[in-house]
Amino acid sequence: MITLRLKEEPSVPIEAEALSPDVVAALRRDEIRALPMFLGKRQVRVGDFFEVEGEASEELEIHGDAGRIKWLGRGMTRGRLRIAGNAGMHLGAYMKGGTIEVSGNASDWVGGEMSGGLIRIGGNAGGQVGAAYRGSRTGMTDGTILIEGSAGLEVGMRMKRGTIAVKGSVRDFAGLEMKGGTIIAGGAELRTGAWMMRGTIVSLTPIPLLPTFAYACSYNPTFLRLCTRELRTHGFSLPSEASEGSFRLYTGDAAVSDRGEILVWQPRVS
Amino acid sequence: MLRITGGKIYDPANGINGEVRDVCISGGRIVERVDGPEVRTIDASGMVVMPGGVDIHTHVAGAALNFARAMTPENHRVAAKFIHSPTLRAGTGGTTPTTFATGYLYSGMGYTTVNEAAVPILSARHTHEELRDTPIVDKSSCVLMANNEILLDLFEAGETERAKDVLAWLVWAAKGYGVKAVNPGGVAAWKWGKDAKVLSQPVHGYSKVTPSIIIAQMAAIVDRLKLPHPLHIHCNNLGMPGNVSTTLETMAVLEGKRAHMAHLQFHAYGGEDWHTIRSEAARVADFFNAHPNLTADAGAILFGDAVTITADAPWQHLLYQLTGRKWGNLDVENETGCGIVPYVYKGNNVVNAVQWAVGLELLLLIDDPWRIFLTTDHPNGACFWRYPEIIHLLMNADFRRESIRKLPSKALKRIVLNDLDREYTLSEIAIITSAGPARALGMPRKGHLGPGADADVRIYNENPNRELMFQHPRYVLKGGEVVVEEGDIRKVVDGREFVVRPSYDASVEEFLRPLFEQYYTIAFENYPVERERLEGADIRDLG
Amino acid sequence: MGGKVTCTLGEVKNRADFIIYWGGNPADCHPLHFTRYTLNPKGKHVPEGRKGRTMVLVDVRETPSVRFADIFLQVRPGKDFEVVTTLRALLKNRPVDEARVAETGLSLDQLRDFVGRMKSARFGVLFFGMGLSMTRGKHMNSAAVLTLVAELNAFTKFVSMPMRGHGNVTGADVVMRWSTGFPFGVNLSRGYPRFNPGEFSTIDVLVRGDNDAALILGADPGATMPQPAIDHLARIPTIVLDPKVTHTSRLARVHITTATSGISAPGTVYRMDEIPLPLKPILKSPYPTDEEVIRRISERVRAKPAWLPASYAKVPCA
Repeated sequence: MITLRLKEEPSVPIEAEALSPDVVAALRRDEIRALPMFLGKRQVRVGDFFEVEGEASEELEIHGDAGRIKWLGRGMTRGRLRIAGNAGMHLGAYMKGGTIEVSGNASDWVGGEMSGGLIRIGGNAGGQVGAAYRGSRTGMTDGTILIEGSAGLEVGMRMKRGTIAVKGSVRDFAGLEMKGGTIIAGGAELRTGAWMMRGTIVSLTPIPLLPTFAYACSYNPTFLRLCTRELRTHGFSLPSEASEGSFRLYTGDAAVSDRGEILVWQPRVS
Repeated sequence: MLRITGGKIYDPANGINGEVRDVCISGGRIVERVDGPEVRTIDASGMVVMPGGVDIHTHVAGAALNFARAMTPENHRVAAKFIHSPTLRAGTGGTTPTTFATGYLYSGMGYTTVNEAAVPILSARHTHEELRDTPIVDKSSCVLMANNEILLDLFEAGETERAKDVLAWLVWAAKGYGVKAVNPGGVAAWKWGKDAKVLSQPVHGYSKVTPSIIIAQMAAIVDRLKLPHPLHIHCNNLGMPGNVSTTLETMAVLEGKRAHMAHLQFHAYGGEDWHTIRSEAARVADFFNAHPNLTADAGAILFGDAVTITADAPWQHLLYQLTGRKWGNLDVENETGCGIVPYVYKGNNVVNAVQWAVGLELLLLIDDPWRIFLTTDHPNGACFWRYPEIIHLLMNADFRRESIRKLPSKALKRIVLNDLDREYTLSEIAIITSAGPARALGMPRKGHLGPGADADVRIYNENPNRELMFQHPRYVLKGGEVVVEEGDIRKVVDGREFVVRPSYDASVEEFLRPLFEQYYTIAFENYPVERERLEGADIRDLG
Repeated sequence: MGGKVTCTLGEVKNRADFIIYWGGNPADCHPLHFTRYTLNPKGKHVPEGRKGRTMVLVDVRETPSVRFADIFLQVRPGKDFEVVTTLRALLKNRPVDEARVAETGLSLDQLRDFVGRMKSARFGVLFFGMGLSMTRGKHMNSAAVLTLVAELNAFTKFVSMPMRGHGNVTGADVVMRWSTGFPFGVNLSRGYPRFNPGEFSTIDVLVRGDNDAALILGADPGATMPQPAIDHLARIPTIVLDPKVTHTSRLARVHITTATSGISAPGTVYRMDEIPLPLKPILKSPYPTDEEVIRRISERVRAKPAWLPASYAKVPCA
């Protein structure tokens, strides 16, 4: 395992896409320390900001408040990246495989346009989780993102496949222009599922809905039971049993489609 | 002073076809000889030497292109990155390169002159500002006229003399070089959401003026004004299955007057609809071959990313409805419009496969390389920096056949490309990428290496892989300066802008002023582009 | 985002018979709009002038622009996105929830009537202002009206246009795009242009304190931005170039007075519809132009050793 301990807080954000299992897997300790990063417009080395222990491993651990360190795990395909602390923007963007775990908070663009792998955030995430970058037609195309806390705007914007689960609440525009995949949230603010074509958004508490979503029925979808089982292995519990309640299904967004689904949990009143 | 020695010279305008000879340069021009200790020598032994490339139809500057840049940030993200340095500006390449990158990309490929194919007069000032920020290459521009309502009103009233003066005044106001006709009448009709699909039918809102009349009248005026470049025509019904009849009709309407047919590939389709679309390149080539008054550029497509940017706004609305992709539209008051739809040509799409074949068929079936030029209507068909791929397809029939084999089988019955054995020679490539377009543009100092020519030279290492060969010139010279060496930009020079000043009756301004004040929304004084705004202007008086 | 269907203002003058202003107050903010371009002029195809045009004003409150409107639709604050999304569905004859429509402050009948009028216009134009682009939803509110207008073109001729702010905002946008590919929020730290609103846009950079110096030209963030941004500007070395001493100047380290563009400094201004107009200065100024000052600073920076890395490291990544 390779351990990096942050010895100095950067004065401006650092861009560190070199810090991913794929890059460090074959490197010696001095090579890791020499890896370039960008501190604003200045080139620096990993060794300038981190104490490095270990080498040539697919397991990379970062200790410290990396909340201003961007692009960690960019495009990774294997291995494990753990951050004991916060993580900066674009964590696991374009990721294809492997696992990222953050004990603290993450920033915007977690798993931007990712196509595989697993990201777990112990705290809160920012906006644009698993989303398309500006102008792109598609966001994440596979993979799983799990967030213990809350998340920001445009979660899962234009995602095509994959799962995003947020225990807390998400802000406006969750599932914006969604094409497929699943988003599960503890709650949401405005405009959930705006302009969605396909895909499923599950909210565990009542949420405001656009006028272009129509109530269809109340039921306990089978696929959700499968989803629940899967998420439970990651420590996410979802209600799904008929004894506990049911989901109100809304279809939309009528502005563009009728194949998008929003499921809102309705606990059984006893 | 410079001497290039030992290279095989391909200078078709001067009848030189691969001879090993010296090329001598002094004061930015080709000269007979150079002497003395000050002469730098470039040893080009074993290398191929051609005059600098000339792109007769491309979209690289101005409002429409800049609109497309706004619409495609995702393309810039994956594009070639131009890193700033003490001598080079930052930028992005890709489908809509930024201005500095455009200059670096063109010159990096050995091209030294580019013709911006579509400029609205009202935003010509913007076009010239962008061209000024496009380094190294020399530039010219074609001014959009065939949907100009002041002109259309004059054609309707039969006032051809006044129309001639107005057109001349407008060319000078825009500081243009040539005249462009895009979908004559169709873009004017688009102001009400319509199009002009039948050449003999009056344009929407008019009772006499038809697209045929616009084409014939404008071609006649361009000739009378003695513009060095003929009327540059983008025919009606671009992109539509069965549009071959419109194209043939357009060429016939010209009745022997000279004209340049733009991106002919998009206008050579048969069939009735998207399911039956097929190539009619053979029919177009036959007619074209028999009519020496015409030149054309291929407008070939290549599979991959493109952005369709055209003044043909109604076509773009249709493309948006067909594909559901992003759509940009900008109607320019009284003059023209533009439509933008980012697009991807796919090798497994039957329609795209037919389009791919048609461009190559035209290049192979049109006999005279002096009349058909290599373009992709950048960025509509493919990015200009991919021209070397087309060169390889033209020069190597085996490679071409391999590529044809990859096409969907349904497409094979719709094209004739597989039957064509012709292979372009290096001399012919020098013609379709340089000598031919220079002649068609009426630029006597471009496209050749005879004494007096501008010292724009490209030097290649010979390579049977023609794509690699033409992608990486060993040296590129612009005005006698070595600007590119082994893929690196060594020196950044400023290019010039070619402009014509046609003669017109000065009283035409008194005719225009009240019309302008009535129909436009800016002051008449602010309409013409100020001469001072053009850097390095080369103004040709046609008086 | 998804594109834009627009025109130059002369097209509106000559053809528009149905004009919508959404989230803007042209009477105060663009005082010549009605008289020059949109309502009063006798256009080539609207010879009756004002009588040949219908104006619909959509806003959250009555502003001085209301008295110029034929129809005023008062939307509840923060409900514009819901209204436009509903209009998009109605345009396609898709069902909507009547109760949730009513929450917008407008009824389903009103919106149906609105759609009908839009579809039967000969040439419609939708101008949208900061009431839309700067309220909750931001760029999505703009995207909503732009998309609605694109979809209206299946029925009739319709265009849209943003009501740009003062100064040469449009010009800055145009120049940034041709030289970097992006309209604003451009980061050049890695040697080439990158764009990501929210990450590199000014307000976000300042609020998070992501920069350690600032050069402010022709803007006054000290007057308009949230307090954390202002506090950050006061902390870091900030330089202001402006004809006037501004709020930002007062918290900056350096203020350089420059000549006023258009009055004393030449150049080009791009109108809101991107038409370029020449600026012809009429008064001499004792102060240098912005351009002169930037050139001089630039020259001195260039003379410093290693002002740029010899080559930008290609950072390895997966």
